[in-house]
Amino acid sequence: MITLADYLVLSAILFCLSVAGIFINRKNVLILLMSIELMLLAVNFNFIAFARYLDDTAGEVFVFFVLTVAAAEAAIGLAILVVLFRNRGTINVTDLDTMKG
Amino acid sequence: MFEAFQNALGVFPESLQTFIVIAVKIVAILVPLLLAVAYLTFAERKIIGFIQVRIGPNRVGPNGWLQPIADAVKLMFKEIILPSGANRFLFLTSPVLAIAPAMAAWAVIPFGDGMVLADVDAGLLYLLALTSLGVYGVIIAGWASNSKYAFLGAMRSAAQMISYEIAMGFALVGVLMGAGSLNLNDIVQAQSGSFLHWYWLPMLPLFMVYFISGVAETNRAPFDLAEGESEIVAGFHVEYSGMTFAVFFLAEYANMILISALTATMFLGGWLSPFQGVPVLEQAFAFVPGLVWFGLKTSIFLFIYLWLRATFPRYRYDQVMRLGWKVLIPVTIVWIFVLGAAIYGGLGPWFD
Amino acid sequence: MGFEKFLFYLFAAILVFAALRVITVRNPVHAALFLVLAFFNSAVLWLLLEAEFLAIVLVLVYVGAVMVLFLFVVMMLDVNVAPMREGFIHYLPVGIVIGLIMVLEMGLVVGSDFFDADHFAAVAAHPADFSDTKELGGLLYTQYVLPFELAAVILLVAIVAAISLTLRRRPGTKHQAPAQQVLVRSQDRVRLVQVDSEEKQ
Repeated sequence: MITLADYLVLSAILFCLSVAGIFINRKNVLILLMSIELMLLAVNFNFIAFARYLDDTAGEVFVFFVLTVAAAEAAIGLAILVVLFRNRGTINVTDLDTMKG
Repeated sequence: MFEAFQNALGVFPESLQTFIVIAVKIVAILVPLLLAVAYLTFAERKIIGFIQVRIGPNRVGPNGWLQPIADAVKLMFKEIILPSGANRFLFLTSPVLAIAPAMAAWAVIPFGDGMVLADVDAGLLYLLALTSLGVYGVIIAGWASNSKYAFLGAMRSAAQMISYEIAMGFALVGVLMGAGSLNLNDIVQAQSGSFLHWYWLPMLPLFMVYFISGVAETNRAPFDLAEGESEIVAGFHVEYSGMTFAVFFLAEYANMILISALTATMFLGGWLSPFQGVPVLEQAFAFVPGLVWFGLKTSIFLFIYLWLRATFPRYRYDQVMRLGWKVLIPVTIVWIFVLGAAIYGGLGPWFD
Repeated sequence: MGFEKFLFYLFAAILVFAALRVITVRNPVHAALFLVLAFFNSAVLWLLLEAEFLAIVLVLVYVGAVMVLFLFVVMMLDVNVAPMREGFIHYLPVGIVIGLIMVLEMGLVVGSDFFDADHFAAVAAHPADFSDTKELGGLLYTQYVLPFELAAVILLVAIVAAISLTLRRRPGTKHQAPAQQVLVRSQDRVRLVQVDSEEKQ
């Protein structure tokens, strides 16, 4: 029998991995964006697990909204990245330290 | 024969029995499918030959009927060449990624009343999800080949597939609004009555948009920019040879059959007889099984595929994008509104 | 250990492995592909939680669209990966320490008595004719209709933002401008000049 705690532990591990990923890949914007996606996935895991074990579909509705917002975030983030690369020729975070466009 | 099969099945334990039954069903779907793919390539060469006033292949076997077998044998014995600097693992996995969704999608397609491998509730959603995965084979092939032409083909294909998926999804939204179900069997049932009850009539724009975007999704002419043999040699599979190339080829034709079968299911009433509701003819053709009607309807669309290829020149890249975003998507959005009003008003004979 | 539990551990193990590779792998394209693997395994685990609709939507939206976009951008931007890996060893201890602290904290929360099987006994499986899609649709279009509209607006904003950010008119490209072509008059193009003939000298 799979318990709620199993899912919570799994999503906790996922979340910690993505936080660690943000720390160790802090120079590569692409991996940072991917880590954020992983983080949202971990959160969604919690929502769905609670929805199942509390027998309340509202949790799944929230996952739906999180997916929507995450898709929008990915689209805008990648668009910014493309413009950045076009203007500066790099996406290395350390090279992006001026406030001037 | 069926009883003999059940008796033979009895020797296995209970849990294994379901597994064996499912495996047999899968084989029963995939073997005819692969044969159909083989003879679709033959049909393509013959039909395009006919359209261009040529004869087409006629050397191997009577009238060239063994040509696809000969082609398959030739491709099987050819060497698979790995380009230098290619990512070996991804290079060899991508043909599998291309063909797997094209095969898996057949699980939810009804071949007759209830004749379906997996009668899942969200069948249409499953199909959308699987058809959107086909692009990975192309992208990964293009990237792993370490070749400029292949890469260009992959990039073109990625952009094109994402764009046309939206139009395709919207067209399907219309169908599921009309049928009120995501289950393909229910969608076919909702169209029963006569051939005027089929959804091609109330959803004519969606029907056309769906088929056009289906042609674009399968990377067939006139949308074959991913291959574009006259501009980027052969696009994403330029570095592939032998069996790996054959698998890409199989995937392309399996996808064509899939899109044709789906169009027939959603808009032409799937396995329903076209003579349903017609007084004399309905009885006269009652003996024909639904599978035959389904196959005939699918063949119509396959023929249109080949006809399109023989008739139209290839689109330019910006024209493809313009057609997808500025024509097909607005048309579907407008028609979904019209359809919503029609369903709300209970417009007969489809939505009453 | 039941079959379900076995499936859970199998897919959870692949999921954790894929997530680990996403953050440690050298090539961003491989990272994106491992992320695809992670999404796939999550979809399977969501199926175990009887959230069929969301599992398929995850594959449809994330694997089918968002990750293709990611791959597209990663492949298009000809990024030199080497300088971005410089700090990797340097930041690794910090990352591991922070990760471990968070694992510890979350372990304390999740491992407490509050989340054990007594408080959250497994709910009975839904009957075979239960439709997750219908349930979710019912909630979305009644109780959560305003958030739903808001989500649509967010998507619209995302479309407009993405297009306006990346659209550029490059000089020198040969586009047709049909509006200007239609508006053209013969006087704009052809100038008839009256030239007197001259006597031969």
